[in-house]
Amino acid sequence: MSFEELDHTADVLMRVRGASINEVFADAGRAMFQVMYGPCEDRGVERKVSLEAEDLESLLIDYLSELLFITEVEYAVFCTFEVEVRDTRLSATLRGEPFDPARHSAGTLVKGISYFGLEIVKEEEGYVVEIIFDI
Amino acid sequence: MLTGINRIGDLEWEVPIGYVPGMRVPGRFFLSPLLAETLEEGAVRQLANVATLPGIVKNSLAMPDIHWGYGFPIGGVAAFDMTEGVISPGGVGFDINCGVRLITTPLTEADLAKKKRDLIERLFNAVPTGVGAKSTLRVSNKDLSAILADGAGWAVERGLGTGADLVRCEEEGAMPGADPDAVSAKARQRGIPQLGTLGAGNHFLELQVVKEVPDPEAARTFGVHEGQICFMVHCGSRGLGHQVATDYLRTIEGALARYGIHLPDRQLACAPIDSPEARAYFGAMASAANYAWANRQVIMHEVRKVFSQVFGIEYDEMRLIYDVAHNVAKFERHDIGGTATEVCVHRKGATRAFGPGAPGIPREYAAVGQPVIIPGSMGTSSYLLHGTTTAMEKTWGSTCHGAGRVLSRSKAKKEVRGRELREQLAGEGIVVRAHSDAALAEEAPEVYKPSGEVVRVVHEAGLSDIVARLGPLGVIKG
Repeated sequence: MSFEELDHTADVLMRVRGASINEVFADAGRAMFQVMYGPCEDRGVERKVSLEAEDLESLLIDYLSELLFITEVEYAVFCTFEVEVRDTRLSATLRGEPFDPARHSAGTLVKGISYFGLEIVKEEEGYVVEIIFDI
Repeated sequence: MLTGINRIGDLEWEVPIGYVPGMRVPGRFFLSPLLAETLEEGAVRQLANVATLPGIVKNSLAMPDIHWGYGFPIGGVAAFDMTEGVISPGGVGFDINCGVRLITTPLTEADLAKKKRDLIERLFNAVPTGVGAKSTLRVSNKDLSAILADGAGWAVERGLGTGADLVRCEEEGAMPGADPDAVSAKARQRGIPQLGTLGAGNHFLELQVVKEVPDPEAARTFGVHEGQICFMVHCGSRGLGHQVATDYLRTIEGALARYGIHLPDRQLACAPIDSPEARAYFGAMASAANYAWANRQVIMHEVRKVFSQVFGIEYDEMRLIYDVAHNVAKFERHDIGGTATEVCVHRKGATRAFGPGAPGIPREYAAVGQPVIIPGSMGTSSYLLHGTTTAMEKTWGSTCHGAGRVLSRSKAKKEVRGRELREQLAGEGIVVRAHSDAALAEEAPEVYKPSGEVVRVVHEAGLSDIVARLGPLGVIKG
């Protein structure tokens, strides 16, 4: 499970790797919340998400867009993501804590998820995807 | 400079048809040799890709703050024929009607003595900023519908401004064609708690002083003079606009096959102007634009209140010069072959810069042209300019919107120490307030192209003329 920030002039470009598709989705969420809020702990806030899309890439964009929506309207910050992807359906459980301005408001606001170059690639030891967060 | 591009003037370059397959018109952009060193191939490719869109008229254009964006390059401008043309959410961007307004005060630097730090602190407390910022206003769903329809007018009706403010906004603070019903429930949920918040990233509230006035006559018309204290508000439509963009990028992408449109880049997803998808997007986009005007109006009201408390000046003594939009698509009439013709102009990270006598600018400014406001980055100058006849002829009445980044956020964080930057700016007399030093480092002046050079290019290319230069005195970072 890993993600790393690559260089991008205007936005935030993240490379996410995972042994499975489930891990890639979980870490993509973790990467986005890291960009937006920095530190986060599991303090009992839980939320479930179910989605369906026409292909895996669209599912990832819809999933991250849904996380953006939830965090903004529910003022919750998530750090643990359990994701199960079957074909192009997803169910996820997110855990985290209430938004705390003292600890969370110094991050970078993500406005949306870019389609540019977003392709989930199968590698020998798992999957990799590069995601541009529009900020 | 990149291969395959032709220089056609001192500051003007052409991307010929054929640079990428399927181009219908050439690309044109404006850059000085100094700025050309920072030109990204990806941004030029995006400019060329825009030229492949159905119904594009004359040229795919980019301003000197061109950089790699989403779909269109940032700094991109394109007009589309009303019958053959399209509307593309990627030609507007995620932050619909991100924009800037500039307000004058009767104060001078001497009036700020010993009060500046307190003023910045009070402003920081009065205007919610940063990620997760929550409005202090209570907005109902019904209020939100009125905001989406009436824009800044909604705020003025509630005493959060004056009638004179409205005529000094692009579109008088509310775009025609807004359709609040086209805005999703999700977008509404995001918009309700955020009205009057600054947001984060490159958005800011800045205290400035007029340093130079190269065009005193235009400055008199705009009510600006040397030594005057001003403030600038830079922000957009917040989560509501971001959600509208997210929603319609998906909808319109899904409709591409239906209209037989083939694209070199799925981020350019678009629909014919007279299609249900494009009509719905336009109605939602105009609503989000109106939300952004209301947002900047509410923020300006809060700032005026703080200035009144600190300096004992009257509300009416703080005059809005103008409010411009950066990310928007609009129906406008432009001269094509001697005939005033309606086209759909997309400006993505670009500013409208209508020339003298053009319709749609305040009557009091008609002889000079529309005010154009180009913000600098913390520590660098901002500029007030006016639109020109040349801009009307060459760029659909458009100019640049800012400086444009040259350094990524990750590099900025590695190379710039936020605390040192804050101290350095303080040494220059600029008080900076942000939620963290890291957020500050990401927006350091050196991560942007020099604003003075970008403005020099649009001035010398005749796309807009410099009226005044403003120096920063204090910044609240979003």
